[in-house]
Parts: sequence; structure tokens; C-alpha cells
Amino acid sequence: MNKLLDELKRAAAERETRRHFLYTCSTGLGAMALGSMLGGCGFFEKDKPQAINTGGQQSDEPTAPRSSQYLPKAQRVIYIHMAGSPSQLELFDYKPELAKYNGKDCPQELLEGKKFAFIRGVPKMLGPQGKFAQHGQSGAWVSDYLPHLQGVVDDITFLKAMHTDQFNHAPAQLLMHTGSARLGRPSMGSWVTYGLGTENDNLPGYIVLASGGKQPDAGKSIWGSGFLPTVYQGVQCRTDGDPVLYASNPAGMDRDIRKQTIEAISQINQQQYEDVKDPEILTRIAQYELAFRMQMSVPEAMDIKREPQYILDSYGVDPNKGSFARNCLLARRLVERGVRFVQLFDWGWDTHGTSADGAIEIGLRTKCKESDQAVAALLKDLKQRGLLDDTLVVWGGEFGRTPMQENRDGQVLPFMGRDHHLDAFTVWMAGGGVKRGFSYGETDDIGYYGVKDQVHVHDLQATILHLLGFDHTKLTYQFQGRPFRLTDVAGKIVKPVLA
Amino acid sequence: MKYQWLILGAISIAVVTMLSAFFGIFEKRVDYNTQIKPLLNKNCIACHGGVKKAAGFSLLFRHEAVAPTKSGKPAIIPGDADGSEMIRRLTLTDPEERMPLEHPPLKPDEIETLRNWIDQGADWGDHWAYQTVEKPDVPKVGTFWSRLGIVENDEINWAKNEIDHFILDKLKAEGLKPSSETDRATLIRRVSLDLIGLPPTEKEVSDFVQDKSPDAYEKVVDRLLQSPAYGERWAGMWLDLARYADTKGYERDGGRKIWRYRDWLIKAFNEDKPFDQFTIEQLAGDLMPNPTDAQLIATGFHRNTMTNDEGGTQDEEFRVAAVLDRVNTTWDVWQGTTFSCVQCHSHPYDPFVNEEYYQYLAFFNNSRDEDVTSDTPTLRFYKSADSLKTLNLRSFILSHASNPKEARLQADYFTRLARTVEPKINSHDFDQLVNASLLDAKYFGFQDKGSARIKNVTLTNRPRLLIAWGTKADDAVVTIRQDRLSGPVLATIPVPKTGSAWSDSIQMIPLPAIQGKHDLHISLSSPKMPKEWVMIKWVSCVPKMAGQPENAIGEQEKILVDVLNADAEQTPIMMDGSGDLVRETRVFDRGNWLVKGKRVTPDVPKSFPAMNAQLPKNRLGLAQWMVSREHPLTARVAVNRFWEQLFGAGIVETVEDMGTQGIPPTHRELLDYLAVEFMETDQWRIKKLLKKMVMSATYRQRSQVSPEVLAKDPFNKLLARGPRVRLSAEAVRDQALAVSGLLSHKMYGPSVMPVQPEGIWQSPYDGDSWKQSTGEDLHRRALYTYWKRTAPYPSMVTFDSPSREFCQLRRLRTNTPLQALVTLNDPVYMEAAQQLAVYMQQEMTPEKQIRAAFRRVTLQEITPRKLAVLAQLYRNTEQHYRQKPEEMKQLMACMDPTPQLAALTVTANTILNLDEVITKE
Repeated sequence: MNKLLDELKRAAAERETRRHFLYTCSTGLGAMALGSMLGGCGFFEKDKPQAINTGGQQSDEPTAPRSSQYLPKAQRVIYIHMAGSPSQLELFDYKPELAKYNGKDCPQELLEGKKFAFIRGVPKMLGPQGKFAQHGQSGAWVSDYLPHLQGVVDDITFLKAMHTDQFNHAPAQLLMHTGSARLGRPSMGSWVTYGLGTENDNLPGYIVLASGGKQPDAGKSIWGSGFLPTVYQGVQCRTDGDPVLYASNPAGMDRDIRKQTIEAISQINQQQYEDVKDPEILTRIAQYELAFRMQMSVPEAMDIKREPQYILDSYGVDPNKGSFARNCLLARRLVERGVRFVQLFDWGWDTHGTSADGAIEIGLRTKCKESDQAVAALLKDLKQRGLLDDTLVVWGGEFGRTPMQENRDGQVLPFMGRDHHLDAFTVWMAGGGVKRGFSYGETDDIGYYGVKDQVHVHDLQATILHLLGFDHTKLTYQFQGRPFRLTDVAGKIVKPVLA
Repeated sequence: MKYQWLILGAISIAVVTMLSAFFGIFEKRVDYNTQIKPLLNKNCIACHGGVKKAAGFSLLFRHEAVAPTKSGKPAIIPGDADGSEMIRRLTLTDPEERMPLEHPPLKPDEIETLRNWIDQGADWGDHWAYQTVEKPDVPKVGTFWSRLGIVENDEINWAKNEIDHFILDKLKAEGLKPSSETDRATLIRRVSLDLIGLPPTEKEVSDFVQDKSPDAYEKVVDRLLQSPAYGERWAGMWLDLARYADTKGYERDGGRKIWRYRDWLIKAFNEDKPFDQFTIEQLAGDLMPNPTDAQLIATGFHRNTMTNDEGGTQDEEFRVAAVLDRVNTTWDVWQGTTFSCVQCHSHPYDPFVNEEYYQYLAFFNNSRDEDVTSDTPTLRFYKSADSLKTLNLRSFILSHASNPKEARLQADYFTRLARTVEPKINSHDFDQLVNASLLDAKYFGFQDKGSARIKNVTLTNRPRLLIAWGTKADDAVVTIRQDRLSGPVLATIPVPKTGSAWSDSIQMIPLPAIQGKHDLHISLSSPKMPKEWVMIKWVSCVPKMAGQPENAIGEQEKILVDVLNADAEQTPIMMDGSGDLVRETRVFDRGNWLVKGKRVTPDVPKSFPAMNAQLPKNRLGLAQWMVSREHPLTARVAVNRFWEQLFGAGIVETVEDMGTQGIPPTHRELLDYLAVEFMETDQWRIKKLLKKMVMSATYRQRSQVSPEVLAKDPFNKLLARGPRVRLSAEAVRDQALAVSGLLSHKMYGPSVMPVQPEGIWQSPYDGDSWKQSTGEDLHRRALYTYWKRTAPYPSMVTFDSPSREFCQLRRLRTNTPLQALVTLNDPVYMEAAQQLAVYMQQEMTPEKQIRAAFRRVTLQEITPRKLAVLAQLYRNTEQHYRQKPEEMKQLMACMDPTPQLAALTVTANTILNLDEVITKE
């Protein structure tokens, strides 16, 4: 065992910098295998001439499964991002004190030196709009906005004193998923697939599903690979048309014809290889064959109609319509097939109170209603299949909402709403190595600041990587002269939540 | 293993000691750059360098390294290794004290090298790439007699120019031999794809194959360098560096019209604008004397930074982000140096200190763009009638000014005002807001009884206020007072009713003659509709136009205002502020823009030759400094980039980093030779540089490789064979369109929207949508495709294009299944296959048809084995479609389908996917 660890360490050290790697492995196949972090450059070079005839199963595949730095608790992640940011004060962070201040002017000391996205002047306080009660053995507070989730709280760890640095959507989403508020860094899912590869090489290792009628504000960058090779970027499976772009054969070309064309391409490429001996050709042959398998496996994985009716019912899925609930069920199907990182985005949680859809008392209830049953069903479904033990589910927004009612441009708004808030919000995690039925962190009486066990976005990221078996300070990639990592120069593992 | 090291180490120490004892005086001097710096970088500098200075000891600069550390004693005493704490700590056995901490000890020979170096005086050396380039001697090839031409020699026969001498020299040292010239069809395809991004036609190939003249190849090269497609191909490369896009980026990612910059690039490459001029115009065209429109458009290079229109975001934060990006991009593109590290701390490895970052930033910090939604400053292109008005205004001023000097100054001032609507104060700078707000955090708005202050405005000789504003309210009136909210009234003006606060109208208001700088206080009275906003986008105090009355707006001034309000196409440009609008630059503490430190003025890092005192301390001076003969990096970086484009890897493989952490050059002398030639002999002409490269025997080699050579040089660093790399995203598409006959050669103009799958674009804010182009615009070259940063054209991204949010210096080539799906199934490639099938039908038999298509696409004759594979595929497919006419009709969509044509389409689709097709061989 020690010997193995030493070997891994040595390999990791060898691969410590991409530059070192590029230096020894250079372009071509090397560029392909850039990310095989623990594969070891020497290993790769030694094996290359033999490895090339083994089709898609070669060890120098950048997405081949790899071991993490130490024994992981979680093998895969489903990250549910409620884009726009749900109000923690309506859902989880019960603040009876806040109700007493409802309608009163916000005290000046809460406003001094603060900047908000839209609140101007002196806003009024807004009491919690949900009816709260404690649930389960663990006695977790969940409001009547989420009746189904109430039934699974004993599988969940709540982080109630989360905080972030950014109060606008796009930068805050970037910070949450890439560790930096600026564009250009790899996303968490890219880091994870870079580190761990995928367990099913007929499917992309990192899949993104979006619902809510709009992409998240920060766009594709939150599942981009940044400076990591593009093989690690999230592949967005679409809910209409081809799940993966161009996965369908052209109209009038059936699978058998496609098979024959790919065979012809492979044969001719093989002949070309015999002539010019460029190993890149063999990679290309393998990639065409993989593409052919993906044409089959992706639609199969995405075909929800293969699920029995009782499963569809438990999630509340209409199989003919794209929806968040459908994406939850797809997420289960995907992790079941070995996809490493599934990221769900649901747009429409930005409740400022400027319209009915964006109102705490109307729009937020609708969003909860549309998602609650499916999220609870997902946890139950993963559990009954034994997947919850090594699948980590994370749920949250990019920031929190203010205890004050928004008064955009100093005006009274037609509906109840809360502005963006960076000092306090709730994220929850379940499965894959976190405690069950646990709550961590507290905010003050009105839910304005975290007062105990605060968790920064980088701490959450460090913890997720830890659960996957990585030291977040060591999962690095050399770029522009220095090693970069998901947690930038920060991040502490939240040890008390580990099971 | 360990014992071996120990024994080896012991022996080497013994040998070194003996040698130094016997030959002390002849002892070889240790070279800092090649022997010491790598050791320090690897083992020491992470803790004792630009970021951390553990125990007060840093190895970044010599003066730091020999200075007293926290202990009070220097760790390095030049000339006394034994007395140097550094050597002592390296050789201890106690793991608590021995350096490097928690890492394996240095090897004995490494320690010995360090010891010798200190004993010899611990001299520092500059990193090779930071020293002014000197022209190295060209290595000789062949034997003495063969050089005289008396005997035949392989090397002499092989080598075509100096490049080959350098390459041969290295090959010989490594025991390798170069490859022979590749066949002519492969060669012309290679050089065409490289120089113009398109394959040659069959006729061009056969002409070349049959041309027996000695300069047949050179004629092809010259023709390609003259082709208009040349500019398109190289502009395509530069667009990644310029982070060019047709949208602004960030959350809203609205549209931006900056395609004129792209067109400028194409023209600049085509007219072979010397690289020094090319550099100066892009970085500082606006600061050149009497800049032309083209020079202003060129500054679009640095206006390709992103603008954040998301509601609630602070303009200043993203203005600063854009300026930082300009600094980093300038270093990345022209200096091949990772300067961005220095934003937060001194460079961890290279000799730059934190403050130097901000001195450099000061060159860029004075530009007038401030992250406003309108993307100003812009250069405006008026319709001809309005354009004529500006010309008339100019001549009016010239004939009415009091003296010629004044005439010239005023004419330039107002022409510039009309063309750029600058200078102006953006309303996000207003303060002391009462009953007012920055609406959507963008522009100032106020309601009835609202007020605000415009700070410190120079009014001397500026008795006109230009203001861009609007409202929905009736009878809203604004009063402007001097110095205080209750101060003397300067003007009272009704606000134009524009239908919405967000739509503005530009007005000119006469002010009394006032001297000096004053605060202006504006207050609003809007009793009829007190809740309706009045929005002001910007204000500007300007001089009175010559020949116009003192106290009222004159006729010519009204014409100017009409022009300012006229519809005009705009392209973002750089423009510096002067007078009140000059910005001071301060160091950001640990890179945080909110925490300002010491004030700095523009300057270049000390590790480089100083700026000539004659040069202005602005972007223009900076650009001129960068292209001076003494500058060590600009030419090397440029040469390396062009080399990488042709050979697949740079001479310094890390095109983005020539610093001490970059990969050392494979052929440093060649790089320096080419850099000096580029600057001196070629006078920075890129076409001459490229011609030199493609004329070399090195470039013309066969790309086939033997297992022996592959084992010895798997990544072709030594160039014993020709380059063989996958085509770029642009070339993959352009080639498919070209060989199928679909490609449009139309140049320039707004970006186009070819066929794209549904659902890629989401633009909830400005309602932009992908409106599929029509006619030939469907089949334009890839560089004209509309580039939306948050949703770039999918097949381009699949083939490794960056998103263009930031400058990307090098596309790492990947080889993925998603690429296969694009060329197999993307409708663009199917359309190409259908067209190719129609072409194939001209031949009579399937074999002849396949031969013809294969020749057309690969420009090679098909081998019998490959023909057999494709013929079999054709037969199976034809039979299939004979039995399934419905599928046949679907496949051929709008064509008259036959089983033969359907089978040919499938065959063509197969050919277009062959490795040899998407690879430059």
C-alpha cells in the first residue's frame, strides 16, 4: 500500500505542472492526454506504442477513470443550482425575530458601508413568509414552501451560514462554480473530471442540464473548462433536439449506414497510419468509434420513457416535457451510468418583487412547487438504489437574500421581494460522505450575518473536493506561470459536516 | 538507487575537488542562467522569491539575495560558499533545518554547482529572453570541400536557406537526419493551408506538379502571399489574441459592432503593414498625430475587452477589470510574459516587482471608456448628408476663427467632437444624489425635487453645456447652479420629452462666461409627473464655436447638435482623457482594486531597457518602446508565434511564456537569428518572414515518420520531418466549403450567421436572436461568423476555439468524439457532401467518381486499398437506398434523389471525415 502511495505521489509530482508535462509529452497525443493527472508522463510514454491499438479503452485517454489523491467518500456529484438564488429566509433559515420587525424601517447600522444591487435609501424589513416547523429525527427547520423536502431532512446536512463575495448573479455564479468571480477559470465539474476521469467512456464525464427557460446569467462559463483542455468542459445536454449537439445522424442515414461509414473511415485511417505512422491517427480512429457509441448511449441515457410509471410519478415528471423534475430524474440516470459530475441549473429564483413571477409570495412558491417533489424523489431514489452512499448531492443558489424588502431605486415595489445578499445564505448537501440529519452554522436573529460556523464559497468547494478524495490545495494546473486551483488561494475543509 | 546516487555524488565531489585543486585557475565558470536559475526556480523560489520571502530571504534579484535576512546575516556571501548560510542549510541532516524544507535534499552535484557559483562571486545573469537580441552566426553545413562546390554533399544539397543550417546543426548533434522534400501535391496543400487557410484547387496542384522551372515553388508562395485570402487567414489567428467578439460579454452579453476592427486586420495583413507599425496602430493609433480613421479603428484591439451591462454592477469595477485585461493582454501578445501575476505581488520567478505592474497600468488607465452600456468612446460613421455637414462645419470654423492656429485647433476639436462625441463626463460620476439614483446602476436619474453634483468642471472658455438626457414627464425643468445647491443659477432648461427616460436627446445649452473650475449642481422640478424619472447619460462643457454668438446657440452649433443626434454606425475605439479627465493611478493593495496604495506614474519595468527620453510617457511612447531594436522580446515573440502557426509548435513551445518558467527554446540561435532578420533585414515585414520559413527545406520535408525517429523525437521538436497537425477550427470548415464548391469569397462587413442548431442562443435582455443569413452569407469563411461570447458557434468551440472572453495565445489541440460528430453530422458538412456528390456524378463509374472526389478533397490519387474500401461502402449504400426510397429522399432533402446520388453523398461524407483531410500533412 505504501509503495502504491509513493508511486502515486511520484507520479503526481512528475505531473505537477502542465508545463513539465508539455515539456516531456508535447503536442499531439500528448495534448490529448494532458490531464491524466496521475497517469504519469513516463507511464504514458512507455505505453504509447502498444496502447494505440486498443481502441477507446486506452489508459492515456484523458477521461479514463483515475484514482483520487486519497480514498474518496463520494464517487460522483449532482450539483443542483437554483440560479437567481432562492430566499433562505423563506425556506430554511427560520427567523421569528425578523417577523417582529416586519414593515419597519431598516436600522441605519445595517446599511452603513453596505452596497446592494438594487436597494437604495432606507428599505423596510420583511418578515419570513413561510410557515416553519421542525421535521424528522434531526428536527430540521423547513417551511411549508417545501413539503416534500420535509420528509427527507434526515439525509441532509444544512450549511446555514454560507457567505460569498459577490452580489451580482454572473460574478457570484462564477465564484460558486469556478472559484473566481472573473471569467476564464475551469469549473468545479471540469476540475473533478480532470482529476477523476469518467467511469463510462460512452458518455461525457461532465453533463449539464438546464431548466427554467433561460441559461444561468454567467452562461456557459460556469461549466467551461477555462484553461484546462476542452475535453473537460461540461457538455450541455439539451432538452429539445439532440441531447448532445450533432449526435443524431442526418435525416435519411440510419445507424447501419453510419456504422459502415465509420468502419470505412477507420480502415482508411488505419492505412494512412501504416504509411505515415502518426500516432494521432490512432487516437482519431478511437474517437470516431467512441462518437459512434455515444450516438447510441447518450440518447439511451436521456430517454426518460424507459422509466417505469411509478418512478415518473414519484418525481412528478411529464416525460414529454422538459422540466426541472425531468432533469432530476435524468441526473439519476446519468450518475447510475457512471457520469462523474451532473450539474443542474434551474433559472427563475431571483425574487426581487418586481413582478408576480419574481415575488416571494407567488413566484417563489411556484418555483418550490415545481422542484420540491423532484428533489425529494431524487434523494429517495438514489438511496433506494444504494447510490446515495457515494453520490454527493449539493443544493443551493449563488448568494442569499436580504432580510429587508427590496425598494428598487427607492420605490415601493408591487410585490414582496428581497435583494441579493452576500453575507448569509443556506446550501445543503446530502449523501457521499456528509453527515445525515445535521445542521451547521447559524445566522443572527434577523438572518443578516452568519454568527457561528460560517462557510465561505471556497470552503464549500474545498469540502466537495475533499469528499471526492482530493486535497484542494494539490489539485492544481500550471497556467500563466503559476499553479491554479479551484479554491484560488483560500478554502478550508468544513470538517464538522463530514460523516 | 539511493546508494548509486551517493556513490555517484561522492565520486563527482571527489573529481570536482581534485580538478579544482589542480586546475583551480582554469575552473569553468558556472553559468547562472543555465545552471543556477533552474535550480533556484525548482527548489527554492516558491518560498524565497517574489511571493513569499521566508526568513527575509529572496532569490528573485541579486541585491535581495545578498542582503541581510531576518537573522541579520546574508544567506549568500559572494566569494565565500563555506560562510554562506544557504550552503550550510542545504547540507544539514536535521530535517527541521535542512533546506528545502519537507522536500528531498538537493543532489550533491547540484549543491556543488551552487557552492562553486557562490565562490565565483554569485554573479547574476539575465534570463536569455530579457537580453537584447544579437544575431548569432549561422552554422556551417557540409564539409569544407563541399562548401566550395567541389564535391557533392547531402547537407549542402538539402539545405535551402539559413533556417536549415540551424536545424541541421541540431539534428546532427542528436544523430538524426532530415527528411527529403515531400511530394508536390502535399507541399502545395500544406503551404496553401498555412498561408491562406484554404486548400489549393486541383488546377493549381496540377500546374505546380507540371511546372519544371527551378522557382516553381517560389512562384506558388508568392502567389499565395498576394492572395486576398492571406489576410483573412492571419486575421483569423490574430482575432484570438485580440479576444475579438461581436458581443460585449458577461451576463447580458449584448451585441457590439466592432467588425471594422476585424476588417482593418485583414487589410493590414494583406498590405503587409510592418509589424512595428501594426503594433503601434493597434496600441496607440489614437495618439498618433492626426490619426486617420483606419488608425483609430485599429485601436479596437483594446476595445475588445468585455463590458458588463448586468443590472446592479458597478461601472468602475469593470472599467478597472478592462484596464487590467489590457495590461495582461499586451504582455501576453507582444511580450510572451505572464505579467498578470504581478498584479497581486512581485513575480514569483521573473524579475518584476509589484509596483511595476501599476506603473505599466498607468499607460492604459487614462482611457475614456468606463464600462458604460453605450460602449463609448466610439468612432461614428454618419450617413453621407450628415457626414457632409461635419465637413461644412470644419470649413466654416476654418474661415471664421480669429487666427490660423486657433482655426486649426477649433476645427480639430469640433471634428473630433462630431466623430467621437468626446470628451464627456459620464453621469455615473455624479454625486451628492438626492431623490436620485443610478438607474440599473448604470445612468443617473432623478425625480421631482431631486438633485446632484457634477464635481470640478473646468468652465474657462467653455460656455456651452452639451447634455444627453430624456424623460417621459411633461414640463420637467432642470436648474443648474454654480458651486452650491443654492448658488447662482447658470441655466434653467426644460427636459426634452423623449418618451422614455432611457432614450436620450443631445442638447446644447449656453452658459455664462465663467473662469476656473467649479462644481455644478443640478436640480429637477417636475411637479406634473413627480415620479417619472429624468435620466442624464453624460454632460460635457465645450468651447463656443468660432463665428457663433456669445449668449445664444448659433446656427452652426445647431447643425453640430443635429449631427450629434443623427443616426450613425459606431465602432469602439481607444481615446485618452486630458485636463479634468486625466486619471491618477495607484497601486492596488494585493491586487484588490478597492484598496488603493501608493501613487504611480507610467513607466516600464526596470529589467528591460529604459524608454528613450524622447518618447512620450503614454501608450504611443510605450508602443514605440516595444518595437525598438533594443527591446528583447517583441520580435522574438512575434517570430515564435508565426513559427508555431506553420510548424505546429513554437521554437519556444510555451508561446505564452518566454520567461524563466517557460519551456526553453529548442533552437534558441535560430529564434534570435530570425528575430534580428525580421527587425533589420525584413524591416518587420511579416510576408518576408513567412516566406523565409516556408521556403526552407525544413518546412518542405515529408511528414512521414519512421518508428526509430518517432521513438527518438516523438513530438518533432527537432524537425527531422515535416509538420503534421490537425487543421484549425476555421480551416476545417473553410476547407469543406471550398472543396465542395460552396465557399463564398466575399470579404469584409458585419458578421454573418450561418446555419446553427436551434437553442444555442439565449439573449433575454436585448432580444437578439440568431437570424440565419441568406444567400452567399451562409457560406462565408469562418472568421466572418458572428461571435457571441457566451454562446460561440458550436462547431468552432468543439475544434478548440476559445470563447474570446480573454486573449488566448495558443489553442491546445484536442482530439475528441464531439469533433467527429460535427464533421459527420453537422448540416454544414452534410451540405458539403451533397455538393460533392453532385460533382462526382460527372464521372461514369463509382470507381471513377470516388477517385475524382478523393482527388478533389485530398489532392492526392487514391490508393487501390482505399479505393476498395470506399467502393464497397458505395455499393452497400446504394443497395440500401434502392430498397429504402423514403430514407433516400430524406437524405437528399431538396435535390432530385437517386440511390446513386444518395450513396455518393454518404461516400463524400466519409471522405470529408478522413484523417488526411482534417490534417495538414
